[in-house]
Amino acid sequence: MNKKKRIVIAASAGFAMAFFMPQQADAMHIMEGYLQPVHCIAWGIVCVPFLVAGFLSIRKTLQKNRKVLMILMMAGAYAFVLSALKIPSVTGSSSHPTGTELGAILFGPSAMAVLGILVLLFQAILLAHGGLTTLGANTFSMAIAGPFVAYGIYTLCKKFNVNKSVSVFVAAFIGDLFTYIVTSFQLALAHPSEVGGIGASFAEFTAIFAVTQIPLAVIEGLVTVAVMKGLESFAAPELTQLGYLKEGR
Amino acid sequence: MILIDKLSYASQIRYKSPFLKCGFGMGTLCVCVAARSFIVSLFIMAVMGYLTVRFSKVSFCRYLKMMAVPLSFLILGTIAIAVDFPKEPMGFFDLAIGERYVSVSVSSLTYSLRLILTALSSVSCLYFISLTTPMLDIIQVMKKIRLPWMIIEITILMYRFIFILSDMAAAIMLSQDCRLGNISFRKKIDSMGQMLSVLLIRALNKANKLYDAMESRCYDGKIQVLWDNEKAEKKDICMVIVFFAVLFVLTAISKIYGGI
Repeated sequence: MNKKKRIVIAASAGFAMAFFMPQQADAMHIMEGYLQPVHCIAWGIVCVPFLVAGFLSIRKTLQKNRKVLMILMMAGAYAFVLSALKIPSVTGSSSHPTGTELGAILFGPSAMAVLGILVLLFQAILLAHGGLTTLGANTFSMAIAGPFVAYGIYTLCKKFNVNKSVSVFVAAFIGDLFTYIVTSFQLALAHPSEVGGIGASFAEFTAIFAVTQIPLAVIEGLVTVAVMKGLESFAAPELTQLGYLKEGR
Repeated sequence: MILIDKLSYASQIRYKSPFLKCGFGMGTLCVCVAARSFIVSLFIMAVMGYLTVRFSKVSFCRYLKMMAVPLSFLILGTIAIAVDFPKEPMGFFDLAIGERYVSVSVSSLTYSLRLILTALSSVSCLYFISLTTPMLDIIQVMKKIRLPWMIIEITILMYRFIFILSDMAAAIMLSQDCRLGNISFRKKIDSMGQMLSVLLIRALNKANKLYDAMESRCYDGKIQVLWDNEKAEKKDICMVIVFFAVLFVLTAISKIYGGI
């Protein structure tokens, strides 16, 4: 544990402590029945091109190497387990990570979109997080918007030779924040405020969910850094195996 | 173990046709979301709650606790919808702060109450499906609606491996706890990271071994699962049709009276 890391952790702990933390801070799944039918369908349609692209890229790699199927399903199960775990938070309450940013960095964003919708389906049925009618909206915010931004930032940082831990942290943190902002936007579109319309209600949603989401994003960033450190120190062959998934992009 | 999954296998109506159960649950869910009315939501919540508690081995208290899972989202979201910050007072509740007011109007209050009811009754539909139909049966339904084979294959294998991985994660976390791996916040983050990286490595090893094992048993990209569900009984189909008829009448009534 070097000095820089210590400072980062101390600062984030203080930051998280400054907020009132509720007992259960989940990643921000829009719950079942919260959106009007038009919005459910529209967000579903928005997801379709990403899903088709992901599906085609997976199928292309699959023709070259059948083993990819196993790796993919393992990645999906891993993403689900990750999101069902309680990650540590400062005040003793529990919170569940999104996990999709780590997935995007490891498996590539287009594969993550396909895995993401399956993970969200499992979450809706087995854990009652999110829902079936809101599957499209949740897929867009959590499995498409967040991962693509996280992956973009990660590759950008790599290009500019930023310190690896810093770039992983920034990618996961910004990806998480972006997911939360997109979700707020989706909610604001569905339920515009009486005074001020969509803009006002977007501000309200962002402000209120900041209580749970900003500490969560910081902690998830830290955990992602710890995971990548661990993987690099003793899993080089496995990481090259994951390279398969990114080839088809 | 995942509680909902365990309960779904113990349900009394587990062997009824999954197509009928999913159709019933999903259809009701769609009506509920589309209707957005007080009486329709209350009716659906009552019926679904009764059916779920009656036919699956959940006590009423446990069911209430399960309904409270999305509560934190519901509370935060509803606050954001109900409360406005106008320049003039709006009626029902106003609190002056500087030049603006924190206020709740009657219409925004009814809007958010209706939303809460709709959301909760949709969750009860979701619970009906997930507490009476095991995941493998739901996958049968996915097969029937002609989703691509690759997706189904990944879903079946994912479902299998979720349990293996979560057992593994639980074992690693327990041994970390035993060795004081969670003694401080910094240690917690570190242990979590180590656990997750080891979990990924072991998961990939398992995937490789699984591939070898399946390849040596002539795996050609399709897993065929035997299926032991009965066909939908006529009596059940009639009941579902009657239920939907009542539901549509209720929806029509609530539309006529302005969405009560």
